[in-house]
Amino acid sequence: MLGIAALSVAVSTIATMLAAVIALPGALWIVHGRSRARALLLGAYNAGLGLPPVAVGLAIAFSFWRSGPLGSFDLLYTPAAMVLAQTIIVIPLIGTLAVIALRGADPSLAMQLAGVGVPPSARFALLAREAAPGLAAAALAGFGRAIAEVGAAQMTGGNIEGQTRVLTTATMLAVGRGDFSGAFADVAVLLGLMLVAAAVALVLQRRWR
Amino acid sequence: MEVSVRALLVRRDGFTLQVEGCAADAAGTAVLGPNGAGKTTLLLALQGLLRAEGTCARPDRCAAVFARPAVLRGSARWNLTAVARSVLGVERAEAEKRAADALDAVDLRHAAEREARTLSTGQRQRLALARALVVEPHALFLDEPFANVDADGRPALRALVRDYAARTGCALLVATSSYADALALCARSFVLRGGRVVHDGPTAALAQVDDPYVRALLAEGPAP
Repeated sequence: MLGIAALSVAVSTIATMLAAVIALPGALWIVHGRSRARALLLGAYNAGLGLPPVAVGLAIAFSFWRSGPLGSFDLLYTPAAMVLAQTIIVIPLIGTLAVIALRGADPSLAMQLAGVGVPPSARFALLAREAAPGLAAAALAGFGRAIAEVGAAQMTGGNIEGQTRVLTTATMLAVGRGDFSGAFADVAVLLGLMLVAAAVALVLQRRWR
Repeated sequence: MEVSVRALLVRRDGFTLQVEGCAADAAGTAVLGPNGAGKTTLLLALQGLLRAEGTCARPDRCAAVFARPAVLRGSARWNLTAVARSVLGVERAEAEKRAADALDAVDLRHAAEREARTLSTGQRQRLALARALVVEPHALFLDEPFANVDADGRPALRALVRDYAARTGCALLVATSSYADALALCARSFVLRGGRVVHDGPTAALAQVDDPYVRALLAEGPAP
């Protein structure tokens, strides 16, 4: 059980961090860039909110299948494949919420920082810092979606005991076997982890009020 | 150091600003004109912060004070330290020292640890001026910089800007609705109306300008 919970946390944390690293620059560009193409990325983020995890799982399972186009990487049924799937699922959620968080700052701030000569990289770091509470909430939502997700985890991980079994796939299996006490235990741990994540986000947000 | 522009053309939200030539050096140039004449647009275009056509020259380090200053989350002191570090690339200790000096210069030391977003509008204008000076600019663009500053504080801030320009040769461009600002800071004045320059000459000679806005401005007198 401890190993299963640890893998759940590890896969979801890494996927959330990767998704944040990928989605945040896009969100900064959407809010502070000038190109008309920004609308395309925002549209992609929004559309991705409804992306069915089973579709992502299917695409990855197909691509990494032994005879599939990326089969030679030998990644199917590994935690890495699960991280990849969760990252793709979480990017639109973090991206969309990050855009909202960044738009909450004074719209003139970016120009005023440029107006005293703050270089672009430092400017983006300062603007992200302004939106820190909202970005923390975006990361929490992403983590919540990743750790609660079951379809893609099953398809890309395969629910292999000791290797790719996470709390959600373990719960599915337990219910299938009629092992309700096991299923309740898994779900209790899952809920406990969400409370811990929410508490961490709350502490961050209070610090940044 | 000098800021200059030739054949400037800016189109922005249905408004067109067209200026044949405009220049500023340490002697100061005031940009006057009624609301909506294009003062702020001209300043932004000269700083390269707006898309504009024309030939523009400015020093490599410019700093601006906006009419409605936006500040970063954090203390007043931190606002200056963060900007000094990222613009000048100096160490934290050096940035802290410069930030403290800048807060002293605008008489804001007592509010150094206050959350910047909770400062009054006038205090935020002081902070914005400190933020501009802390990067040691070669050109200063001030947009209604003292509009919300208390009347008895304005002369000291004008003297601060005047002395900085005189000491460093920093070019000075001031968009203002205050005749006193123009008199104190700028040898030359431009008057804008509807996106065009309607007058360009010495500030001291504004009295001879036949323009209803200028007459009204001077009739108010150089109030503090």
